[in-house]
Amino acid sequence: MTGAPAAPAGAVDGPVPAPVRALLSVGDDDVTVVRGGRGEPVVYLHGLCDLHATSDGAAWTPFLGRLAEHAEVIAPALPGYNASTGVDRLEDVEDYVWHLGDIWAASGLGRVDVVGHSLGGWLAAELALRRPELVRRLVLVSPLGAHVPGLVVPPFFGAVAPRGIGGAGEARRLLFFDPDGAPAVSALPDVMTREQQLLWFGGLAGAARLGWKAPHFQSRKLSSRLGRIGVDTLVVRGVGDALVPAAMARAWADGLASASLVEVAGAGHCVALEAPESVDEVVRFLRGGAGSGVAS
Amino acid sequence: MNFFSFHLMPWPHLPAPRQFLADNEAAWVTLSNAHYDPVQGADLYERYLSELVRAEELGLDGVVVNEHHQNAYGLMPSPNLMAAALTRETSRVKICVLGNALPLYNPPTRVAEEMAMLDVMSGGRLIAGLVVGGGPEYYSTNVNPTEARARFREAVDLVLEAWTRPGPFAFDGRFYQLPYVNPWPRPLQQPHPPVWIPGLGSPGTIAYCAENGFGYMGVAYYAPPESFVRQAHAYRDAVAQAGRSFDPELLGWLTTVYVADTDERAVEEAAPHLAYFQGTLAAGFVGPGKVWMPPGYIDPPALVQFLAELRAMVEGPRPSDPAAALWRRSPLVGSPATVRDRLLAVVNELGVGTVLSLLQFGSLPASLTARSTTLYAEEVVPYVRAHATPGARR
Repeated sequence: MTGAPAAPAGAVDGPVPAPVRALLSVGDDDVTVVRGGRGEPVVYLHGLCDLHATSDGAAWTPFLGRLAEHAEVIAPALPGYNASTGVDRLEDVEDYVWHLGDIWAASGLGRVDVVGHSLGGWLAAELALRRPELVRRLVLVSPLGAHVPGLVVPPFFGAVAPRGIGGAGEARRLLFFDPDGAPAVSALPDVMTREQQLLWFGGLAGAARLGWKAPHFQSRKLSSRLGRIGVDTLVVRGVGDALVPAAMARAWADGLASASLVEVAGAGHCVALEAPESVDEVVRFLRGGAGSGVAS
Repeated sequence: MNFFSFHLMPWPHLPAPRQFLADNEAAWVTLSNAHYDPVQGADLYERYLSELVRAEELGLDGVVVNEHHQNAYGLMPSPNLMAAALTRETSRVKICVLGNALPLYNPPTRVAEEMAMLDVMSGGRLIAGLVVGGGPEYYSTNVNPTEARARFREAVDLVLEAWTRPGPFAFDGRFYQLPYVNPWPRPLQQPHPPVWIPGLGSPGTIAYCAENGFGYMGVAYYAPPESFVRQAHAYRDAVAQAGRSFDPELLGWLTTVYVADTDERAVEEAAPHLAYFQGTLAAGFVGPGKVWMPPGYIDPPALVQFLAELRAMVEGPRPSDPAAALWRRSPLVGSPATVRDRLLAVVNELGVGTVLSLLQFGSLPASLTARSTTLYAEEVVPYVRAHATPGARR
């Protein structure tokens, strides 16, 4: 990682500077990394619809901008997202976890707090399970990856199939509490520019690489091993999340060894876009105030 | 010069496009199979197979069947079953299965086995089409689309090796690992049946066909005619680039055909059935509704371009001259004189040596299909055969 600014010592006032975006060389692959903020390092693993999927990292999303006031945020793009490569090479969770470990090494990171949203939540949990030496505490914001027998979730990839008249299909209705609200329309407008489409479709390919197998984004193996994840964990769920129903969030909180669950009103799966103020719960947890919210 | 009768065996009993699209988003993946009536289906299979058999009686060179899953567009999830029936119902024509979607079979040695059976059963009349499978079929089968092409290429290697290398041998690929590859029977044609691959113009597919000596069959009924012109030139360039000599029979043109006494009558009779084909049955991968194009199936820049062209087509101005608009996508609709002139021009200008004629399309009924097929076989094909100089010039 070159060009990443060190967090200025003692500089706690004033606006958070814009993030620095760089292309990191990791093994055989390139990884877009967005980095900036002040404080202890926190790795942010993005989701299906926020940073690197619907915005290219030139600026923080509101959620990350607020997080960066309290932490140095390091936000790599998963394979297929933004300019990150690896969709052709990486095949499964096992490969992704080793890839993440390589990103940690290339970024000079040790045992750090990890915030994972959606797809990134799944991978954050897999990393904590398999490489516990890299994860201090976990925040899982609308995490995918859990499998609850008998619980039927709408198929994501069918819903986001494009339409001949343009747009992102039914994605907004599936991913947002208010599909016509400003956060939804801004992320996935009815008419997308070529750049927006390239970002979105590239990300969908990356998501499909890992999550295509039905039911999409659900791992029986991870669910059977949740109890082996011992780090303190905060689970955040938007009350309108169609991809992570309440029973699934409950399965996370009950399955993990040490977890609390917070539900966020007025948000769907894209909590980080629709309710950026939910980051306050995250900050409180990372400061050691776990369980101070609407805990389980 | 080869003339094939190509059949999709579509379901013809859905509403016309306007009504269909008001109630449904696609004829693929999610259109309920409650729409399929097996009693009507039995009649349809009987009729459609007879239409292919008739092609032999009328002197065409081959018949083509193809694989589709979970849609009203094509009722042959297993084209090999139809090809097997045709081995017994015909005695002369080539039987082309265009093709088997290799990534959907695991292990794909199943395809090597069934196609070898067909080749032996038919006395060496099989043409082996190998395909990636359509985008919607990746939703229907849940095979991961992000590895479709890599899986396809490896499966092609496996099938060809299974046909040509004495077994048993071990295959140790990225996607397929088999300790004993040893299929019985082996194909009758040696070293193996001709391999054809259909395409919509992807440069990668065209180059792959040229480099491996495979036939390239350009699917022309969704794209404007200039698209196929580009594909034909690209294939011939790629063949030259690969250091091979150009065999016109390996360059195919898949297009709709309808012949009647006059141009006016042909257009009038074909129009509603072409509209049903292009508007109702194709809804799902072209058209205003859902486009069942899975992520990673083609790379994002190609997908963006595909959607831009689709949108231009969907939202473009209504044609002021409906006949001209119809001819742009279906030039071989007309009187025998019109169709033979247009066909001969394509054959001679592009070097096409194989014409895959979609003689039944959409809801075209048996009577019109039979009359058009007869006119085509008797008044168009012999003329084009006599005057064709495929591959002579560019």
